Amino acid sequence: MSGTLIDFCKQLEPTALKLPASLLQAARDGVEFQHHFPTTREEPWKYTRLGRVAALKLTPVKINQSAERLAASETIDIIFEQETWHCAEPTAGLHINFSADLDASAWNACTLQGHVQHINALSAQGGVAIRVDANTKLIKPLRIIHRLQGAHTGLILHHQLILGNHASAQVEVFFEGTSEDSYANVLFDFFIGAGANLHTDMLQQTKGTHYGFHTQRIYQQKDSTVALQTLTAHTHFTRNEVEVFSQEEGTHTQLYGAFIGRENNHIDNHTYVHHTAPNCTSDENYKGVLADKATGVFNGKVKVYQDAQKINAYQSNKNILLSDLATINAKPELEIYADDVKCSHGSTTGQLDQHALFFLRARGISETKATDMLIKGFMAEIVGAVKSSHIQEALHALLD
Amino acid sequence: MLKITDLHASINGTEILKGLNLEIKAGEIHAIMGPNGAGKSTLASVLAGKEDYEVTSGAITFEDQDLLEMSIEERAREGVFLAFQYPVEIPGVSNVNFLKTAMNEIREHKGMPALSAKDFLRLVKEKSALVDLDASLASRAVNEGFSGGEKKRNEIFQMAMLEPKLAVLDETDSGLDIDALRIVAGGVNTLKSANNATLVITHYQRLLDHIIPDFVHVLYDGKIVKTGGKELALELEEKGYDWIKSVE
Repeated sequence: MSGTLIDFCKQLEPTALKLPASLLQAARDGVEFQHHFPTTREEPWKYTRLGRVAALKLTPVKINQSAERLAASETIDIIFEQETWHCAEPTAGLHINFSADLDASAWNACTLQGHVQHINALSAQGGVAIRVDANTKLIKPLRIIHRLQGAHTGLILHHQLILGNHASAQVEVFFEGTSEDSYANVLFDFFIGAGANLHTDMLQQTKGTHYGFHTQRIYQQKDSTVALQTLTAHTHFTRNEVEVFSQEEGTHTQLYGAFIGRENNHIDNHTYVHHTAPNCTSDENYKGVLADKATGVFNGKVKVYQDAQKINAYQSNKNILLSDLATINAKPELEIYADDVKCSHGSTTGQLDQHALFFLRARGISETKATDMLIKGFMAEIVGAVKSSHIQEALHALLD
Repeated sequence: MLKITDLHASINGTEILKGLNLEIKAGEIHAIMGPNGAGKSTLASVLAGKEDYEVTSGAITFEDQDLLEMSIEERAREGVFLAFQYPVEIPGVSNVNFLKTAMNEIREHKGMPALSAKDFLRLVKEKSALVDLDASLASRAVNEGFSGGEKKRNEIFQMAMLEPKLAVLDETDSGLDIDALRIVAGGVNTLKSANNATLVITHYQRLLDHIIPDFVHVLYDGKIVKTGGKELALELEEKGYDWIKSVE
């Protein structure tokens, strides 16, 4: 069976996820209401056109529910490759299942925001449900790999990670492989218990004319800490949506991102931090480097609700354009309804520092190497925040 | 080593150097003094190959090669070193990493093998001591958070590491206190040999108390208008640049 994405939404029996009827209806209405695909007249899609995505002819990837076992390694691996998913033996206090096991009660806290999430809710073919018991500190990182291949595939996954109270985990997420005229819509729901700690590094580096849509929704309870690094390199088309719900006091959230585009790459990062509880901090830092005719979008929104006093929210976006034809559309947004908060935001876009380039060359370093060094230096803050050694290595290889 | 003949250079269509002649031989120290706007920094920039400046006529040969035909990095690899008047801060790029890259590019150009990590670190230790540069500064990002004096000492540290044939010091004394001045000058003097040469560009005579020049040239309105020994610097200090202008 093949068809367009909208054909999927209409034809598929969408209940791989046990969505509450109200959410399902909301998703249906959302897709219908937006006449299937939003246009650039709608603010969240002003700089990202979906015409090509709407026209894709796709065959859905149906994941077999039972996992192939992977041998133990330094990381606890979960690999999605075509119809198969592979999974390592979980360690104590860790539970890994296919999405039929998704904790439906967690859904009650969710709302669906926008096109990408609607499509996901209607058509997700499954996903992995990970639960870390309270007080369990995972020693090995969890590594989730999406290996894309073939052409005209439609991969729609909904993952869920639940960290119990005072649990901690390090997660590495990869999107890799080569795929043509294909679509992926992969959503993560992170439910972070009180006092829990999550560190996630995500690297997107799929080759080919692949259209990748990624959503990370993070729900944080009291005194929890989350650091999420979103790294996108040389992808044809990527849309990232990160949404943080700071629901109780004392949460810390770090959202870092780096995007590197060339040729006709289009990389779009949308973030939305909801501060609904007092005494919380969020720190956002996104950096982009765009060459050739690449385009980038950064839209970061922080909303501080009326009762959320003593919030410390910091947001920064810096971009370097390496060519006259590269474009960035940056929009930092702050919406504040409380009166005792400290918030800052800023965005800058420029070219490579010509004085620094001259200095390095005047010490004997070739122009190409000097340019690479400056880009690496520019990205150092973000790369330094990455804990995953696999991703560190991949980034060094990309930036060298 | 260096021969500049009838050099004319301009920036944004304004001519700054208007027929400059200068010859520097191995083992010599030359000082160029002159009032603001005379073209001192332009000369340094043109020697290093800064692209903002356009050489409209004249010639520069360095070790019998046409310097003006070389790219910025080729000049450095051939042994031209510019100590910057305003050293650049480069966040995220470590001083040590950048120097290692620079040294190995220069060595590759000369057909020499790359330095081992051990030899490199030994050199860093030895040469940073020469200018009293704290070893921790060597591992920080290039000039980031350095004081004015530390930035200038870092320039001389780089010079010590790269061992150029011709070092051009562009107002290295500006912004230095007496102690830093002495350290920087001490570094330059230690590095001096019969095989290399130094061109000191300065506004004031005081640096020349520490780095004793063989020749002092006065640059005025894009030309060298007077050349003498080290005593010329003292005379200038005493009489001021108006004296030169009136000689003109």
